[in-house]
Amino acid sequence: MTSSDIDTADRLTRRRARMLPFLAIIFLSQQVVYFVDRNPPVRTVDHVKVGAWLVLSVVLLLALATGGFWLKPRNVRALMDDDVTRANRAEAFRIGFLVTMSAGIGLYFLDQLAPMSGREAVHILVTIGIATALIVFGMLERRALRDG
Amino acid sequence: MAERLANRLLEVRTEQGLTQAALAELVGVSRKTVNTVENGVFVPSTTLALKLARALGQPVEALFSLVSDD
Repeated sequence: MTSSDIDTADRLTRRRARMLPFLAIIFLSQQVVYFVDRNPPVRTVDHVKVGAWLVLSVVLLLALATGGFWLKPRNVRALMDDDVTRANRAEAFRIGFLVTMSAGIGLYFLDQLAPMSGREAVHILVTIGIATALIVFGMLERRALRDG
Repeated sequence: MAERLANRLLEVRTEQGLTQAALAELVGVSRKTVNTVENGVFVPSTTLALKLARALGQPVEALFSLVSDD
């Protein structure tokens, strides 16, 4: 572990903390297009849209679970995944889970007023869970980086 | 009775003329970890507390103590 590793990890951690809430907002704003047209996907372009959402969701989930920056050296990644980061991630997942479950309960009642397909419900729940965890993780990381 | 963990990490570190980054390098953690422990944002694990104490040449009790909020 060198001072250069620590500097690099520090710089990348700050970048990640700035990037995550921003990514969550982009991720959430992109979902509007899926709910403008509520017909089941039949055209090729619809399947591409759903596929793109699925791929982005998996990438964001993996980035959240592992800390991202997969091509960086192992030492740097270990520093970016230290005790504080793991605690912040655990808290982000905890809040993400609670928000997702609450949204699921809400959707159960909403479905009685405005029926929705299973695909739509899964889409909403996955999006809410990932976006919430990203935002919370980013905020906790920013707080941890604040001096004083 | 509520108790919280107080620490003298900042005081001891500055006494020894170490920056957060230098202490982080000695312990093998990120600067963020040192910062959050100093600020009381993060309660360190036993392992981390022992590593910090060893790096600063102090017994762990000299760095960390329980204080009552009442």
